[in-house]
Amino acid sequence: MAKILVIDDDADLSAVMKGVLDREGYIVIVAANGKEGLAQARKEKPDLILLDVMMPVMDGFLFADEFNRDMAIAKIPVVAITSYVESPLGQPVPFDVAEYVSKPIKPKDLVALAKKYIKTDAKKN
Amino acid sequence: MSKREPVPGYIPELKALKVRLSVFVKMRWLVVLGIIAVALFARYVFNIGFQTLPVFIICAFLLAYNLWMYLWNRRLAGEETELVIRRAQISGYIQVLLDLAVLTVLLHYTGGITNPFIFVYVIHTTAASILLTRRRAYELTTIAVGMAALLAFLEYSGIIGHVNLNGFVSDALYQQPNYVLSIIITLAVLTYTSTYITTAVAGELRQQHLKVDELRDQLMAEDKRELERFSGEVANLKEERTRFVRLLSVVAHDLQAPLVAVQSCISYVLEGYAGETNDEQKDWLQRSSRRIDGLLVLITDLLDIPRIELGQLKQEMAEIPLNEVINHSLEGLDIVAKKKNLQLTVELPAQSPVIYGSSRRLQQVITNLTNNAINYTNEGSINIKLTENADEIRVDVTDTGIGIPSKDLPRLFDEFCRGSNVEVKGSGLGLSISKRIIIAHGGKIWAESPLLEDGRGSKFIFTIPKQKLNTQISKN
Repeated sequence: MAKILVIDDDADLSAVMKGVLDREGYIVIVAANGKEGLAQARKEKPDLILLDVMMPVMDGFLFADEFNRDMAIAKIPVVAITSYVESPLGQPVPFDVAEYVSKPIKPKDLVALAKKYIKTDAKKN
Repeated sequence: MSKREPVPGYIPELKALKVRLSVFVKMRWLVVLGIIAVALFARYVFNIGFQTLPVFIICAFLLAYNLWMYLWNRRLAGEETELVIRRAQISGYIQVLLDLAVLTVLLHYTGGITNPFIFVYVIHTTAASILLTRRRAYELTTIAVGMAALLAFLEYSGIIGHVNLNGFVSDALYQQPNYVLSIIITLAVLTYTSTYITTAVAGELRQQHLKVDELRDQLMAEDKRELERFSGEVANLKEERTRFVRLLSVVAHDLQAPLVAVQSCISYVLEGYAGETNDEQKDWLQRSSRRIDGLLVLITDLLDIPRIELGQLKQEMAEIPLNEVINHSLEGLDIVAKKKNLQLTVELPAQSPVIYGSSRRLQQVITNLTNNAINYTNEGSINIKLTENADEIRVDVTDTGIGIPSKDLPRLFDEFCRGSNVEVKGSGLGLSISKRIIIAHGGKIWAESPLLEDGRGSKFIFTIPKQKLNTQISKN
């Protein structure tokens, strides 16, 4: 079973993402901030990480920074799910992630995104 | 009367002094010519008997010493220090002193006290009064009168010989005490009076100079303070503005986050993750979803304005091929047009023009214009055309839609302006944002309507200059 780690401080959003991805047969782990996300990533070794940017405690930028330095997990693809308003001056900050996706993400796009990064499961479905 | 001595290092004064010194050098050239002319005239036209050779020797000396002064002045010209002003003053003093000596010797060889040119001393003392301080001027005046008196005395008493101007004055005139005394007294009265008047005027001028200078310094200091205050205010405003945009970003995020969550929850239900929904339920959810979409667009648009104003585009600027930009802008819009049965055509040059700009922002403009065209056109076609000339590129977005009443054209690009003949659609910020983007590229944007006789049709045009517009961009 492929694992997806959702890091987002918005509980409703994580619930929606978890609901959609659960239905597709993924194991979804939810973390409320970057720090929690980092711990979960190290523990669970997910196949994909969906990352919010603006979060309390540890935001997406700091998360990506630490994450990329940890060789044990750095290879896991990270998709930043962010909105235009979140970058302080509207600039895509040089941010080392596989892809940017803008919020709100539609359920079918979310599924497509998961399938794009987790090929083995795409075949099963 | 001046109570203040000239301030050393006082630059306007120094400049004046140097200018005056060079004027005296120029005058001296003319004086040499004058002496020669007068000597020749007196000797050969009036047949006055005297030796011209000493006169010419004195002229040669005068020429040599004036050349030296000329070179000296040129050396002083480049510098403007306290030392130089002192040197210029000393040089002036020496020049007047030398001139007096030369005049005295010249007079000695041309009749001494009987030569009417003896009153030329007045010119020398006037020059001294203009050039030097009051004290020095009186000093030199006294020296001048002294020299004339000494010359007269020496010749009178026979200690030195007398050269008589034969044929001009009687050869006994220089030995008539009444005559000699009256000439010396007249000379003294003339020179001291002239020195008094000239130093008074020069002192007054010097005072004025100082006053003007003081005022100028005051004004400059005031200007500087004003400028400092002003630039401080500008800096404050800039800081204020940046803080405002940051605040706006945070507020926008906090407004947007719940909307995003609601939107996601609605799509969760709409797409059947929470169980089956019937068509009526779906319809209501879709209505809600559309309204939230509208709000999300408004929030993004509201944020765009200060971001463009703050010069964010500068960081996004690059060489961009416009054909590609236009093709990207229209992605998805052809489907929207097709849904309304509208024909969407694009005319691009075979070779894509390249300009310096923000690809993302120009896409935003073209998408906005095309979207508007589709929204306000019920039948017919929409055409997007890209052309270029040597200086600029031009994009025309033409539609066969409802057109724009001419009274709306001037304020079309203002915030929240909508045509008086259309329903409310979108945030009302699209065109205003487009205008800001085009201006940030150094370009122009305008609309023309109606295109057809029945009032239908409108055309939105923007042009962007081809050269790099760093200066214009940084102004925005």
